[in-house]
Amino acid sequence: MPTVTDGERTGLQTRARRQAERFRDFVDDTSPEALVTMTVIAVSLLAAFVGFLLVSSLTVVPFAVFLLASGYGWFRHQEETALILTLTTTVSTLLILGLIIVFIFRESIPVVQYESATVFGVSVPGLRMFVETRWDAVASPVRYSMAPMIHGTVMVTVIATAVAAPLGVSAALFLSEIAPDVVREVVKPGVEILAGIPSIVYGFIGFTVLGPWASDQFDLSGQGTYLFVGVVVGLMALPTVVSVAEDALSSVPESMKSGSLAVGTTDWQTMTSITLPAAFSGVSAAVLLGVGRAIGETMAATVMLRGVPRLTEPLMNVFYGQETLTSLIARNYGEADGLQLDALFVAGVILFVTVLGISIGAQYIEWRMRRKLGGEV
Amino acid sequence: MTQDSARLSDRVSRRKFLSTTAVLGAAGLAGCGGSSDGGSDGSASDGSSGDGSSDGSQAAEGDTETATGGSDTSLLTAEGSSTVYPISNKGSSYWNSNAPPSDGEYWGSNEEGSVPGWDEIETDMLLADYFASQFGFEPTEQRSQAPFQTTVGLSHSGTGCQAVVDGLVDIGNSSGPITAELGWSEEKRDNTVVDNVVGRDGQPVVVSKDVSDAGVSQLNGDQIRQIFQGEVDNWNELDGVDYDKEIYVIGRAEGSGTDTSFRLNMLGDADASMEVDTRQGQNQQVAQLVSQNEGAIAYMALAFTSDQVLPIAIDFEGTLYEPDPDAEHTIFDSDYPLNRDLHMYTLIEEDNPDGGGRDRREAAFMNMFLTQFGQTVFVEQNNYIPLPTSDLEEFRSRLEPLKE
Repeated sequence: MPTVTDGERTGLQTRARRQAERFRDFVDDTSPEALVTMTVIAVSLLAAFVGFLLVSSLTVVPFAVFLLASGYGWFRHQEETALILTLTTTVSTLLILGLIIVFIFRESIPVVQYESATVFGVSVPGLRMFVETRWDAVASPVRYSMAPMIHGTVMVTVIATAVAAPLGVSAALFLSEIAPDVVREVVKPGVEILAGIPSIVYGFIGFTVLGPWASDQFDLSGQGTYLFVGVVVGLMALPTVVSVAEDALSSVPESMKSGSLAVGTTDWQTMTSITLPAAFSGVSAAVLLGVGRAIGETMAATVMLRGVPRLTEPLMNVFYGQETLTSLIARNYGEADGLQLDALFVAGVILFVTVLGISIGAQYIEWRMRRKLGGEV
Repeated sequence: MTQDSARLSDRVSRRKFLSTTAVLGAAGLAGCGGSSDGGSDGSASDGSSGDGSSDGSQAAEGDTETATGGSDTSLLTAEGSSTVYPISNKGSSYWNSNAPPSDGEYWGSNEEGSVPGWDEIETDMLLADYFASQFGFEPTEQRSQAPFQTTVGLSHSGTGCQAVVDGLVDIGNSSGPITAELGWSEEKRDNTVVDNVVGRDGQPVVVSKDVSDAGVSQLNGDQIRQIFQGEVDNWNELDGVDYDKEIYVIGRAEGSGTDTSFRLNMLGDADASMEVDTRQGQNQQVAQLVSQNEGAIAYMALAFTSDQVLPIAIDFEGTLYEPDPDAEHTIFDSDYPLNRDLHMYTLIEEDNPDGGGRDRREAAFMNMFLTQFGQTVFVEQNNYIPLPTSDLEEFRSRLEPLKE
């Protein structure tokens, strides 16, 4: 055990030493003038960033220095300037993302503390948001339960996936493997254009046409159902699913399909036992992208849902649509203040964590499939 | 077959198609981008008007030294409630167009007619010139060129109140009192802002056409409370109503000015609990929902009623308030419990003349609403309730010290 840690430590040390050496080599190889320019660019940009965070009116000074130094460096030491510029833009991208994450987490702290619940004598912050189901920002007891919105998001996502996944994957299979070329060349771009229709258009149709229609047909009190929000969101996610899944299917190497056909399988057998399994990672990535769209869909859900956070009865009742995490934020950001506003940030945090989980899941599936299939897909 | 497709794909590659689509899309976006640029321009000019007003304070100091010259003529900005918006925006539009007195339709009089309340104005000046000159602004004598321009943004009561307190806009439009919107004490309100009431808004309770056709033309206060607190679910559970239909109860955005004042005036407490089927932020959405669903009941600004969205009479403790303006007690009366004041808050600033809480631009603009002309054109014609004469006189007298 100690030898292992020693080994690790020496490994780390050698790596650090090697990095230091590389850095020293770089400094030795670069002219002092270029080094000064690089330092000025980096330091002035950092100063401008700090000034921006402090809302200082002097921010313009280091920023002007940065621009001047970059302009000078670009003409005199283009290589080094390009290096430092690309490095600083990468760092600032990460920094900005990090600050956004820190911000939404920090904003949600007050309501997490407010919604503490006691389990076995231990006070757990935020627990009550998930074990109780009451959301009421005005009448006492004031509660900001996230359970109804999580339920709503799950309902919409499940229905949307049930619509988008089978339709999308079979359409992709048809386009990639069965359809005549002319059909593919016309339909595939057409489907991709559908992805560009703004979601409010779907939402508006849902609000003015589907909502009242469903209310009449199913004899509901008023309009707004998870069923139709899910269907609409599923249709919106469909182009993404079709497009990405078709890419995955058509990137399966021709040699695999030909080999399969050569041993006497039919086209359909090749599709089901060679093409689909080989493209499985891409197809699941397509479905997961569609799911991501369904979870994040805001405008259509906001317009079509009822906007009263509560669970439906029974839980799988899809004919009443209350609220999702995204529509909660969209509907209430204007009026909310204090704890209610912080509660909206909690919804944002939940969305963030969910989407993070989904993209990590998609990466993981892809990694596993690549290992299994030898990296061709 | 796949080889064929490879050839075809070579000819019209998907990538090529996508890039074409992307170019088209980018062109489309550029179109949208243009308009959103316009929006950001607007906000940028808001920002600069903030600067402008601080400049203006210096200019005002200069004024007091020289005692002549124009006052601050930077853009007057207002923002807030969608309920106050029709009044405020119509006023702003009239102001900016600065119609000449020969216009007859928007200002002044000619052989085709004259504007309401003209007999108490009778001036040969242009619209904005007339109101602005009373507060020391130079008349432009040029239509479409007001002595200073005005603009009104649309958001929410709470947002408008916060914006005026933060100094982002000059006037914060709010349909609820700022004490409720921002959770302030009355003392803090008195020290921070001035409340300019420009009109009143009745919140009629409206029902969908099928309910009205089923004979529901009036309810009493307690029945409405039962409906909005979820104690009854079907119309036929109410006394004297024979209509078997589930009630579709439409509330307003949780914590909005409309929501707060309805809870306060109808349910007895600003924190009273409610049990509704849906909540909507905007009057337009409520009107749309009432018109396309059966069994619906809602409350909203009078301006959005129609033949599909019908106001009903309400019996409060023995007094029947009717939607008919000729009835003995109407929902336009000031003692109708659901009536509320429409506020245009202005910030008390150190450089305001006489510490009055309004600068001269704000006072000049506000004064327009406090005339017979303003009340009729901006308030009454938008289906809101004009202020009674006594209130008008009182509010106008508060602006008197700023006049020149």
